[in-house]
Amino acid sequence: MFVTCIVDQFYPVVGESTVRVLRRLGVDVDFPSGQTCCGQPAFNSGFWADAKPVARRVLKMLRGDRYVVVPSGSCASMIRVFYPELFHDEPGPLAEARDLAPRVFELSEFIVDVLGVTDIAPYGDSAGAPESRKVTYHEACHLRRELGVTTQPRTLITSAPGVELVEAQQSDVCCGFGGSFSVRYPDISGAMLQDKIEQLSETGAERFVSCDSGCIMHIAGGMERQKVDMRPVHIAELLDEYLGQE
Amino acid sequence: MTGNQAEFLSNLRRTLGRPHDAPPLAISDATALGRDAGEVARRAESIRGRAQEDADALADELETAAALAGWKVARVASTQDAAGYIADLVRELEALSVVRSAQAVVERLDLEGVLSGAGVQVNAMAVREGSDESSADEQRSAMRQHAIDADLGITGVDYAIAETGTCVLLPRKGISRLVSLLPPVHVAIVERGQVLPGLDEFFALRRAHSLGGDLGSYMTLITGPSRSADIEYTIVTGVHGPGEVHMLLLG
Amino acid sequence: MEAKTKNFNTAAAEALNDPNIQANLHGLYQGFHHARVDAAAATPGWEEMREKAREIKAHTIDNLDHYLEMASAEVTRAGGSVYFANTAEDASRYVVDLARSKGVEIAIKGKSMLSEEMGLNDRLAENGIEPVETDLGEYIIQLAGETPYHIIAPAIHKTRDEVAELFEEKLDAPRYHEIEDMAGEARRQLRQKFIDADMGITGVNFLVAETGTIVLVTNEGNGRMCTSMPRTHVAIMGMEKVIPSMDDLGIFLRLLIRSATGQRLSSYVTTVTGPRRHDDEDGPDELHLVVVDNGRSRLLADPELRESLNCLRCGACLNACPVYRKVGGHAYGWVYPGPIGAVISPMLTNLGDAKDLPHASSLCGACREVCPVKINIPRMLLYLRKELAQGETYPESRRASLVDRLLMKGWRLSIANPIMLRLANKAAALAQWPLARRRRLTWLPGPLGGWTRYRNLPAIASRPFSKRWRKMR
Repeated sequence: MFVTCIVDQFYPVVGESTVRVLRRLGVDVDFPSGQTCCGQPAFNSGFWADAKPVARRVLKMLRGDRYVVVPSGSCASMIRVFYPELFHDEPGPLAEARDLAPRVFELSEFIVDVLGVTDIAPYGDSAGAPESRKVTYHEACHLRRELGVTTQPRTLITSAPGVELVEAQQSDVCCGFGGSFSVRYPDISGAMLQDKIEQLSETGAERFVSCDSGCIMHIAGGMERQKVDMRPVHIAELLDEYLGQE
Repeated sequence: MTGNQAEFLSNLRRTLGRPHDAPPLAISDATALGRDAGEVARRAESIRGRAQEDADALADELETAAALAGWKVARVASTQDAAGYIADLVRELEALSVVRSAQAVVERLDLEGVLSGAGVQVNAMAVREGSDESSADEQRSAMRQHAIDADLGITGVDYAIAETGTCVLLPRKGISRLVSLLPPVHVAIVERGQVLPGLDEFFALRRAHSLGGDLGSYMTLITGPSRSADIEYTIVTGVHGPGEVHMLLLG
Repeated sequence: MEAKTKNFNTAAAEALNDPNIQANLHGLYQGFHHARVDAAAATPGWEEMREKAREIKAHTIDNLDHYLEMASAEVTRAGGSVYFANTAEDASRYVVDLARSKGVEIAIKGKSMLSEEMGLNDRLAENGIEPVETDLGEYIIQLAGETPYHIIAPAIHKTRDEVAELFEEKLDAPRYHEIEDMAGEARRQLRQKFIDADMGITGVNFLVAETGTIVLVTNEGNGRMCTSMPRTHVAIMGMEKVIPSMDDLGIFLRLLIRSATGQRLSSYVTTVTGPRRHDDEDGPDELHLVVVDNGRSRLLADPELRESLNCLRCGACLNACPVYRKVGGHAYGWVYPGPIGAVISPMLTNLGDAKDLPHASSLCGACREVCPVKINIPRMLLYLRKELAQGETYPESRRASLVDRLLMKGWRLSIANPIMLRLANKAAALAQWPLARRRRLTWLPGPLGGWTRYRNLPAIASRPFSKRWRKMR
């Protein structure tokens, strides 16, 4: 597992949930030590020279033949899609990046496409499942458009006993996080956030699910500020609620 | 005034990293440009054949698509029925003057005869045969004014396209550009066998024609009334072409 | 047009704070964007068409010299004239000189973004020629003295009341309430101009090289008016608008029109191949095609940016862009707004003066998803950001501020290895202590304050995951 800096530093529970969920599904999970960041903040800001040493460390750390599972669409995209971009002019790391790419998966993508699990009910105890709780789903942009992952999270969410998925309006529209965009252009980011909060609230769901902690930090941060009665849950946590039961 | 074409193209070649004595163009398979004249001609032949064989089915398709695109579509069995439709329309619009193109199908309607009793002026937008240069110029000025003043314009079509509900006019001698443009109402008469399945078939025929001769100065593909959605996304018609368009399917 | 790209933040703020503009921009998602999505879904083979068009465009651009030469020969053979202009100024000079030599008093214009690049209306007016915009949206903004807000719908930011007021003031018209009446007024006003005009100036949607055919896509009919009523027709064209064959047109028309408005076909598709023939009943006596570079060579020269020349100017990326739908067209400060504008406006003017354009994007990728010719805009935005930060290909464009570079160094230091990260974690925990209430921060200093303007920030974890792993191993 590549935990990502946001999860490591701000949402460590998501990391714990990811490990538990994967183990419950029969996966032997390793956490290579020395993880810090995938380098996306520097890459997205145009400081590729600063991103490269960070990325080289990651490439070295992830050598081998294990799958790399990432509880984030944008970090998985960085490693799988953008590392080859970053190293387009350096044949050595480029080859490594191309070698690594087919092994890298976002969490829900891994569970559905690699493990072949489309229904998590048999892996837990449905007797202990709560009665129907409404959730809605926010699609993270890189997850959808760089990795092409749209159905897998929904498949897993709807398969969780006791969970009812309600689709939000404009669920494919960006929440306005965009990494440093949220701080460089706060008013535009805030305006996009406002729309997203309204659209999610309209569903009447108790919680919104996402596969990306960056989006969650941004949306939940806004909902809290406005005292909107909806809580965030990362897909790893949602699955862990069911699979983590004794 | 081609002026600095050589310099402009030479700059482009340099930008493209092409040497001065560059090889000729190697046409990619993606574009249809590479098809040879024989292939283009055969394809056109086949399309023309199919247009006749499938005429009825294509007319049905056209009717649906044209209605969707905002045409008022009517089937008329004969030229008399077509003339009758137009006479009714003239009455409804309280039209005082009408312009028409000189296509065969329009000539057969005998609009001058049909509408003369009602005191409606009918102007054929075609320079008279055998006119000399200066007479032709005078006639053209007069025709232009007629089109500006007319309440209704009537044309045949050269093709219709079922995919999109489109009428195609290829202006030339006897077919003015202005008949279907200036008056607020336009009637287009489509004859059996003029309907093509789609845009690709239409352009294939045009391409074949161009390889054999002059394409002509103009083509106009009309798909419904003139429309705009520039103010608050609200659709309005009749800015600036005809706001009302009728398609008569003959036969 | 003068570039005001430096004013991005001010102009964006104006749009964000204007409820009318926000309401009008909001309509783009359900309107044009959804129409495009539906039209694409209803067109069999849409994805194959996109790929084919991308290939055709890439091939054409890679061989632009050949195709322009072919087109020029064909236009000339059909009786037209072709002028190649390196710069906007040169192109304007040609058109103005031509108009003056013909004693043109009124020039009617179809919609042309290139003419905005050229500032052509001003050049004509300066020389005693009255330019009249005939597209309803362009007509409105011409009266308002503004620049286009959107590539397809130039006046989309105006409410009906604003238009009514404009007409009342500038046209001495009654104060209308219904949009139909306003459109009727425009029709009446422009009708006489169509009749009296000596010259028609249009843009070009496509130029078919094989036959020298100019293709115009309109819904109003003003394109037909401009190409049929006056005795001289001038078509101005960005040099990249060429496509090889008439047989390619079907694909491109479908992609352009269904991406722009969702219609199966626009009300009018008009093609021009040379001036009128001798026996034609009407049509212009002269056709002049002006092919313009104006900086497009810069895009052509850069392999990372060449693909942007595939653009069909459909506007789908604007409609899909969540940032454009908030800040609108004027924020981008030059002719081309939205995602494609964020790439080409800087490159056609001055990249260093336009640093906000590639940065004001969350890189969501919606633009790429809807582009009919599959231009990878996000990738180009990343490339331009790299140039602004590091200035490798365009050293004069480097604009990395001290704050940016310090923040980058700080970040590098803290994530260099796990030990540094742990130190950074401790430092952050300490720094946040006075600010955190119940594990939340509601205020951050300096450049980071942008976050807390709208959101809380969770406190940094005292036990990060890497520490917790030991117990889970």
